[in-house]
Amino acid sequence: MARGTNTSSRHKGMSYTKFGYLFIAPFVIVYCLFSLYPLLTTFWYSGAFMQNTNASFWGFSNKEVFYDRYLDLIKIYSDFDETGINKSDYNKIKKYFAVQDLADQRDPINPEGLEAIVNNTDLSQATRDAVQQCIDTGDISYIANNEAVVEDLTTWNAGYTDLGNTVLGLLDGVNTAATEAATVAESEDSEDSITAEDILTSDNFASFLDTLQNGEFDEGQTMLMNYLADYVGAASLYDYFTAADVSVDADSFYFICANLNAPNAVLSDGSSVSAVSVPFMNDLVTYLNANTWSATVPSLSSYSEFENYHNLDKDLHSDEEILYADLESLYNMGLIIKQVKLVEDNGALVQSDVPAENILVAMRQFIDTQYVSDPVKTAAAQQIGNLNNYLSDSLNASRYELIRDGIDIDSYITFNGDFDVNKYLQFKALIGLDTVLTMDKYEELDAARKQKNVEKAQADLVDQQAKLPEVQAAYDAAVASGDQEAIDDAFGKLRAVEVAISTDESTIKRPDGIFTKADATKQYIYVGFDNFAQIFGNKNRFNYVAGAFFTTAVMWIIGFIPQILLALILSAWFTDTKLKLKGLNLMKALMYLPNVITAATIAIFFRRLFSYSTGASASPAQLFLDAIGHDRINFLAKPWPTRLIVCFINFWMWYGNTMIVLIAGITSISESLYESAQLDGANSFQTYTKITMPLLRPILLYTLVTSMIGGLQMYDIPFNLNQYPALVSFNGTYIRCSQTVLMYVNNLAFGKSSIKQVGIASAVSIILFIVTTILSVLIFFLMRDKDAAAAAKAKKLARKAGANR
Amino acid sequence: MSSNEVKLRSKSGSIAAYSALVYIVVIFFAILAVIPFWYMFMNATWDTYSIQAGVKLWPNFGHIIEQVKANWAYLSNRSTFSFALGFKNSLIITVSSTALTVYFSALTAYGLSVYEFKGRKTIFTIIVGVMMVPTAVNITGFYRLMNAMGLLGTRWPLILPAIAAPATVFFIKQYLDTSLSKEIIEAARIDGAGEFYTFNKVCLPIMVPALATQGIFSFLGSWNNFFAPSILLTKQELKTLPLMVSMLYGDRYTDYGAIYIGLSASVFPIIIAYAFLQRYIIQGVSAGGVKE
Repeated sequence: MARGTNTSSRHKGMSYTKFGYLFIAPFVIVYCLFSLYPLLTTFWYSGAFMQNTNASFWGFSNKEVFYDRYLDLIKIYSDFDETGINKSDYNKIKKYFAVQDLADQRDPINPEGLEAIVNNTDLSQATRDAVQQCIDTGDISYIANNEAVVEDLTTWNAGYTDLGNTVLGLLDGVNTAATEAATVAESEDSEDSITAEDILTSDNFASFLDTLQNGEFDEGQTMLMNYLADYVGAASLYDYFTAADVSVDADSFYFICANLNAPNAVLSDGSSVSAVSVPFMNDLVTYLNANTWSATVPSLSSYSEFENYHNLDKDLHSDEEILYADLESLYNMGLIIKQVKLVEDNGALVQSDVPAENILVAMRQFIDTQYVSDPVKTAAAQQIGNLNNYLSDSLNASRYELIRDGIDIDSYITFNGDFDVNKYLQFKALIGLDTVLTMDKYEELDAARKQKNVEKAQADLVDQQAKLPEVQAAYDAAVASGDQEAIDDAFGKLRAVEVAISTDESTIKRPDGIFTKADATKQYIYVGFDNFAQIFGNKNRFNYVAGAFFTTAVMWIIGFIPQILLALILSAWFTDTKLKLKGLNLMKALMYLPNVITAATIAIFFRRLFSYSTGASASPAQLFLDAIGHDRINFLAKPWPTRLIVCFINFWMWYGNTMIVLIAGITSISESLYESAQLDGANSFQTYTKITMPLLRPILLYTLVTSMIGGLQMYDIPFNLNQYPALVSFNGTYIRCSQTVLMYVNNLAFGKSSIKQVGIASAVSIILFIVTTILSVLIFFLMRDKDAAAAAKAKKLARKAGANR
Repeated sequence: MSSNEVKLRSKSGSIAAYSALVYIVVIFFAILAVIPFWYMFMNATWDTYSIQAGVKLWPNFGHIIEQVKANWAYLSNRSTFSFALGFKNSLIITVSSTALTVYFSALTAYGLSVYEFKGRKTIFTIIVGVMMVPTAVNITGFYRLMNAMGLLGTRWPLILPAIAAPATVFFIKQYLDTSLSKEIIEAARIDGAGEFYTFNKVCLPIMVPALATQGIFSFLGSWNNFFAPSILLTKQELKTLPLMVSMLYGDRYTDYGAIYIGLSASVFPIIIAYAFLQRYIIQGVSAGGVKE
């Protein structure tokens, strides 16, 4: 642009330039808030001892609370009589935390639960109004201080719970009746001998029907849900499905079916029911087919019937979902033995002509039609239960003691699992400890305690070291005498002294204070580089992190190399004017297609493609192995096959993208260069290596850097391909073979473990950030064309010189 | 002379052979790119037992509609997979975040391109720099910020940050620098138009080609996003389509027909959209590479 026009437009536009700030303001604000601030806080959190994501603090101002909570009271009162803190006062703080814990646990003013109470028309208007006030103010005292309300709630809840228990009893009855029938089948050793008669005449069934028909209830389905949830809740079921391969013979099959409720039962050959694995399902299908049960086999893979009557509104995790499905299928199978022709007809159980009906389904359906639950009332009952537990004397003595002392504890407590520092500080001010228990005081106590421990250790060290030559001499003498008993005795004494010395030395180096971090599951404090020290200092932790980086890098590189090679070849062909290829645009479009499809879908598809089973239901990969006469391979349970599948998916999704980028780069190279090369007699290969490749360098650099940044953040594909990949030894520690860095971070910070290690997860994120940045810069400088760099430098110098002039 | 002719002929002959080889390889990779999707669609028309019996690369002639219906019904019975719900959630998040990205990126790029305010070069350099920052590393900080703002369990954490999309700003600014003439703005000012009016009514229409390309990429990125939604959307009723598809995971769901129809349903809308937009998408990818 010419200098003259530039200045004139600038002069004209002068009054408008301030609009520039307005135009970019939304971007800058949102970027700072949603990207920059979280990045900075991630840095900040990487220096925090932080194990729970539910704490609602923005910084480390809660240090004092943390110290209060985890102060070792015994240490204070045994060591420091002169602390100036009244023990009974301090106990108030202790009780405060006990009440807070209980409130967190019970969540007595959970708004959704209280809403349900307000909507429960069985309760009196006064009660519901009081509860509404609790919702509006977030203060529980409207209920807690009103005996009439508490009584109203308690009475209603007791009646409702009785009802639920009755329905639960009914369901137990169903189960026992069916189990009894199965036991009869077992003893008679014939699957056909069970009739409706057997069940109908059993004692338990009679009493069950009695209850069923005489009870006057109109709800309770939720109790049915509870029952089923309990039933599913057995975590060991998941384990026994994933255990070693066990095929099942006919006898075992009947035994297993009859003992589905008892996973610990033992088979005739000594193996337990819980050792049964996935192949059981397949073997079962095969077995049933061979034994003319084929009519019932299709219903094995279908649990939709069961779903109809469960109709769970409950949100199940995917794991639970699998477990649940398995359980249903297995239970269904178990019921084949007990299959009887029984259905519900006008409120009574009668014989049915439909062979696939079974008694448990019929009974459950019968109960469901009889007892329809009201979710509002169930939620209300649950919330009242929580309220009662919070308010009740027996569970919460601390709360009553504080109230007795004239402290309205309920107004200082938060009830939603959070912890409000300000409320706590108010409480401390109220009991008059805010001036006594200050940060300075803690530091003082801590320092004194440490000092005392060091002194003690130093004194002991002197003693022990004085003793050392003596016991050493005794040991040497014993060895010389050759008496084994004397040697053992002397060695024990020597060892004790040595241990005492090393303990003292470590105490002097790092004495205990009055605080301990060990219990801090809910709070966090600033710990500097402790998280990084833990990662780099602990061998296992280091191996997990390094292994995750290794896995990620390996899966990226193995996918990237063929990707860039193929893209180079294809782009050379696509731009080769001598070849005159037709239909290039279509080919380009097809090859780019995988890149636009959801990676999660592709990964699930590949999982399906390679999944493993021993029975008839085989994936394409297994069918292929069958066809070439190879034993089946569980690809996704082996480390390298899993990794290579991930690499292949990455390669397959991205070579089209790289190719298009390279084609664009090649076509932007001046045509005249090629023409002159052709005139000089260069062939395609020569023009490619001498002209195209050097000029493509910046684009290759761009591809490499963007691919690497994306590759290090790999998550969707390995996560969806296999969430629990095989273990593989890395430097002596077992790591998950396809767990990438982000999967590891996610596991630490948001995983299923009850302790969420947010601090360490942040530290790993930061390492990822640093590694990515360093690698990007490194690649950039390594691959930068030296001539271009020199030219850029010269240009810069020239510009500088011009400016100086 | 004659030897030269022979040489030429043999050369053209070898070129023909060479191009045949090239065609074979290119067609092989084109088929490789498509076959998984073809395979999904075909299997979606079969029942579980046929799928188990062997690889199906052709549709279930004569029973396509009824089998698709049966598979769909089976899939719909599952409590974790609701196509309509997932589609709706994905659409809400994707459409709103794309709209925000496109509008605000255009606004920012316009601000950087048109107004010569102090520090705009620095800001642009910073934007180019942060394009390279891996986006997922701040997830713990972001999660806790959302928690503190009370936005967890809502769609906002996936929508609001779309206002700041550095890469989109970068590309739109490149476009503006070359194709927006300052005279138009000057003319609008002389006519008495306000700055925002000029942007919205005069310049935005000129930017449409660039906005469309960037919009497509932003849409695809948001639609296919998995990492952030998997952490931020824990409620079933908010889950997006990729999260629903992820629930199809599991070897022991024995109804393969239903799984394939679930996968097909998630792929189908993208393929249809791609069929219409592939020209722009590929142009966009090309442009992205050359710009660097």
